[in-house]
Amino acid sequence: MDVTGTVEAVWKLESARIVAGLTRLVRDVGLAEELAQDALVAALSQWPAEGVPDSPGAWLTAVAKRRAVDHLRRARRVDLDDDVGDEPAAAPAGERDDVLRLMFLSCHTVLPTPARVALTLRLVGGLTVAEIARAFLVTEQVIRGRIADAKRILAEQRVAFDLPEGAELAERLSSVLEVVYLVFNEGYMATAGEGLLRPELSAEALRLGRLLAVLAPGESEVHGLVALMEIQASRTAARTGPSGAPVPLDEQDRGRWDPLLIHRGFAALLRARDLGGPPGPYVLQAAIAACHAQARTAQDTDWAQITALYNALERVLPTPVVRLNRAVATGRSAGPDAGLAALDALADDPVLRDYHLLPGVRGDLLARAGRAAEARHEFQRAAALTRNHAERDYLLGRAGAAPAPAAPTLAGAAREFLGRADLGAATIRSYGQTMQRLCRSLGDELPLSALTADQVERVFTTAWSGTAARTWNRHRAAIRSFGAWAALPGLDAGLTRRDDATPPTPAIPPAVLDRIWTTPEVRSRERVLWLLLHESGAPVSAVLALDVENLDLDDRRARVRGAWVSWRARTARLLPELLADRRRGPLFLTDRRPSPSRTVAPADLCPRTGHSRLSYERAEYLFKQHTRTLDPSGAGYTLRQLRPTSA
Amino acid sequence: MRYLMTTFGDGSTPTEQQFEEMDKFITELSASGVLLAAGGLEPGGVHVTSLGSEFTVTDGPFAEAKEAAGGFALVEVSSREEAVELARRAAAIGGDGTTIIQQVFS
Repeated sequence: MDVTGTVEAVWKLESARIVAGLTRLVRDVGLAEELAQDALVAALSQWPAEGVPDSPGAWLTAVAKRRAVDHLRRARRVDLDDDVGDEPAAAPAGERDDVLRLMFLSCHTVLPTPARVALTLRLVGGLTVAEIARAFLVTEQVIRGRIADAKRILAEQRVAFDLPEGAELAERLSSVLEVVYLVFNEGYMATAGEGLLRPELSAEALRLGRLLAVLAPGESEVHGLVALMEIQASRTAARTGPSGAPVPLDEQDRGRWDPLLIHRGFAALLRARDLGGPPGPYVLQAAIAACHAQARTAQDTDWAQITALYNALERVLPTPVVRLNRAVATGRSAGPDAGLAALDALADDPVLRDYHLLPGVRGDLLARAGRAAEARHEFQRAAALTRNHAERDYLLGRAGAAPAPAAPTLAGAAREFLGRADLGAATIRSYGQTMQRLCRSLGDELPLSALTADQVERVFTTAWSGTAARTWNRHRAAIRSFGAWAALPGLDAGLTRRDDATPPTPAIPPAVLDRIWTTPEVRSRERVLWLLLHESGAPVSAVLALDVENLDLDDRRARVRGAWVSWRARTARLLPELLADRRRGPLFLTDRRPSPSRTVAPADLCPRTGHSRLSYERAEYLFKQHTRTLDPSGAGYTLRQLRPTSA
Repeated sequence: MRYLMTTFGDGSTPTEQQFEEMDKFITELSASGVLLAAGGLEPGGVHVTSLGSEFTVTDGPFAEAKEAAGGFALVEVSSREEAVELARRAAAIGGDGTTIIQQVFS
């Protein structure tokens, strides 16, 4: 057998332990991984010639450790040879703790989630960059970048290689569990691409979870997560049909569920329960999965028990998706109408707006309630929203099972409405946004005759209630026009026009202004800027855009962006000091040169000092800081409020 | 990938120390999530043969002990090489014998 294959196999089995042990020695996970890689390279070059050693794992560990000691010696920490170099293999308990520390480190909350996932798979899972990239359908470059970022952040933040305790433990542990479950789910229900499953990722997550359960046996949520993953993984073979299409739980051939994994899942769930305490989200989800696993047929499912568990889960994990699942369970235990009622409470949640499972579940409940036409419509909406090909085919299949509506549809009407010759391009673009949102939220296939003002109002409230008045009114105008065109008057009945006049910004009271002008510690740059804004009444961005060469000091005015900005005596008195001997470039400058990584347009750089133009944000911040004590609300004033007559 | 490993010993009885080490090894493998199930097998067992319409049941023991499997392990690994590596480690403890490694298709 190929020696390279053997090296890789040994590496996969040993790398977590090796990297963890090295991290304890050198206190730098990036360096530890490099040293471990050196050992791997040594194995790849020596084993083919000298043969595979009797104990390959020990060989790798010894070589890696020797490199670490060499490194520490070079770093002039000489007294190490006695206590490290000849140290017998660390006690298993110590080694275990090292691997656990490594997991806590790679899942640390200072890291962005994608970096946590990549680093954990690399260091703890022993996967190659190429394997991780393949699993997540991104380039190796991306994964390499994430891992490098993660190592850099850990080093910069000086994250300790330790085991968290107390309250920190709960938070850090939940991050570890989250990463493991995320990996599992990416394998179990691929969010994008052709296949529905990427089993190697799920297997890796299970491996990590089982490992974690031995390392942290006292944490019930760890066992809960393992139980959840084991039971979900037990359904892998039954979850997809021969053509790769998903098979929903109640239609799966339960004989294909893997009894070994179910058994392991139950055992893990029992371990979690034996630890006592209130059940956490993973234990509850595992208990729900166990309910399904216990039912010999779909009809035997104890939906009342599952609904009760979802109620408990919603209390500890009130996410929209959990609430959605609770509605599903309610639909089964208390009938489709009860399920639809529970679902209606979710319909306006912006998080679920484009989530395909919402219309998918709705369609299922409607079909059960015998409302076939509505069900078909929901399935089509769901199909339009999912990115997974296999899932889309399934949803379209269910839609096809319901009778087709003969009436004109919303999408058809929208196409015709926007296709008229008398609309300008800008109008089509603007109306198009409104109609697209309507179609996405209500479904392309909604019969036009079923469109109500109530539905339109709900789409508006969910999508645009937080937007500016002008945006709201623009969409409202589109609906009014569409209603008139489609002969559906009153479609906009629920939409009131919003007052889009900008509320006047209150000017700063004269007494406060006086105090601003007379504060002694204000620097000349700020003093000039503020006075200039007040005296000119010009927009802040125009004043900040002023260039030295355009100032007409005699006439007390400057041309900027094709308009005049003029000032009065107090600004004029202070300007020479601010200008000093500058002849060109931005009038208002930052204090420092821009960092080399930032590119600044030449027009925004001072040719003399190399400083860049003062930004609106910075200027605003400084003004707010300065006026905070003067503002009764404590927030500080905005630069715009310096204009004498605010409009 | 799942592999079934079936071991055929040389007929000798393992020592107390071998038992202990194997037990430790199995615990460690279960802990790392690799070992899904394992067990020792009784010598002999029952043979059932189906030939045409005839179904024959024969009780053991049969022939020589080394022809019968002595134990099995079901492992979840990411490559065939990894399974081989596990067999190597098991052999280092269990001594002489043969192991058959077969991928389990689901």
